[in-house]
Amino acid sequence: MIRFENVGMRYGMGPEVLRDINLHLKPGSFHFLTGPTGAGKSSLLKLLALSHRPSRGLLSLFGQEVSTLGRKELPSFRRKIGVVFQEFRLLDHLSTLDNVALPLRIAGADEDQVRKHVAELLDWVGLGTQIDAKPPTLSGGEKQRVAIARAVINRPQLLIADEPTGSMDPDMGLRLMHLFQELNKIGTTVVIATHDIGLIRKFSNPVMYLKDSTLHLSQSDEYLDQYHRSSL
Amino acid sequence: MSFRFGLFGKSAELQLEKDASSRYLPVVISAMIFLAALALAGLFSIHTAVQDWSRAVSGNLTVEIAYEDGKSLDKKVAVATDFLKSFPGIDNVRPLESTEAARMLEPYLGRSDIIASLPLPRLIEVTIAENSSVDLLAAAEKLADAVPGAQLNTHRPWLDKMILLARSIQVLAGAIMVLVSIVTVIIVIFAARTGMVMHQEIIEVLHLIGAQDHYIARQFQDYYARLSFLGSLPGLILAIIVMQVLGFMAGQLEASLITAPTMILEGWVALAMLPPLVALLTTTTVRWIVLGSLKRMM
Repeated sequence: MIRFENVGMRYGMGPEVLRDINLHLKPGSFHFLTGPTGAGKSSLLKLLALSHRPSRGLLSLFGQEVSTLGRKELPSFRRKIGVVFQEFRLLDHLSTLDNVALPLRIAGADEDQVRKHVAELLDWVGLGTQIDAKPPTLSGGEKQRVAIARAVINRPQLLIADEPTGSMDPDMGLRLMHLFQELNKIGTTVVIATHDIGLIRKFSNPVMYLKDSTLHLSQSDEYLDQYHRSSL
Repeated sequence: MSFRFGLFGKSAELQLEKDASSRYLPVVISAMIFLAALALAGLFSIHTAVQDWSRAVSGNLTVEIAYEDGKSLDKKVAVATDFLKSFPGIDNVRPLESTEAARMLEPYLGRSDIIASLPLPRLIEVTIAENSSVDLLAAAEKLADAVPGAQLNTHRPWLDKMILLARSIQVLAGAIMVLVSIVTVIIVIFAARTGMVMHQEIIEVLHLIGAQDHYIARQFQDYYARLSFLGSLPGLILAIIVMQVLGFMAGQLEASLITAPTMILEGWVALAMLPPLVALLTTTTVRWIVLGSLKRMM
């Protein structure tokens, strides 16, 4: 599904922000990605989202090496990936419905189906009454839910979320985590970047943590032990 | 909300309509089209004028019988007329009376009664028959032998100078057209690049949710083509008004030797094609620039 082999990444001619990343995520897995600020979480997510290419090493997604992908193949690969950005990145001039519908419309879906699916999903994330609202009129939590709905509307094979519950109250955060779990149960591979140790504790999924630009993988218990030891 | 966008629709996601960078593009395009339309009109009008002048002059000759002090030129005119009528390929020979020649000079020299007292040569208008070839050199030599002081003028040297002048103006008009096209392309490139920078974040989002490059490029090219098309209309209308005013003023000159340049149907068609052509040029340029820039993104 996802395979990193000695992957390194740098911006321009700058220093490597990720070094020797080796990673294998199986289809249908659910991982947390954590680490201190500046450790390279966003950069790793950019690689997973096909927003950047690695500077070195091999990165395979869905069984294909990314560097061999032609420009015309990239969009179809990206449609298999749902991304929830930390800063939402919604289009302010579009309504909630239009923001969520965007991936479907870009993929050329039938308009009746688009409206039906989007309305159902917005109901599910608790925004059924905000269909015509524009993002500037929504709260941070509501924007985050719109961003999540947009990321999952296409039933992606890989879902990447950067601090998805950061702007929400705990109840809504839990509800959305359950949505991620449901998507995961039907086969979606999920990677959630978070600083929320409570979330990692509650859901007990394997943890990838970045330290000094390198990636380490552990089970949640193991990570939590290590976290508490280092906190003490 | 409709997500269809075309030449007259809105750019659905990018909202290019809100860009301050492209707000003045129609004004610049309008000015460019104004210049291009005048240059194009010049090209066609002069082309037509040259053809008219050439047609008018090529079938006509003038025989000039030099003035001789104290002698009547009537006899020489009669001999020359008879000689010319007998020459093969000549359709019509018409000697001009002194008063008629004086009237022709009136716009340049003043009152005709005074001109008639000047030592003017006598003129004979000669029309060559259609589809006949006359050896003008031989005719001129034989005429000079038969009537001393008679000279055959073909108008060709004058016409050649006029054609040279006209062709120079046409080259200049063509150069203006090329220059206008280059400047338009440069302005459009600048506007499109600025638009790309201003909307980079949304473009990234569109890419990440699976938009093809041409989906994004189409929003840019349709928007800028629309701006160019609509911007070109006032420029074209203004140019047509100016052309009509200039045509009217040229008609008032009363220069009987040459006809004023007039636009032919092909010229009007070419003018009408300017707005769609500038829209096409803009579409092509923007597509090229946007796709090139997108390729540099992941």
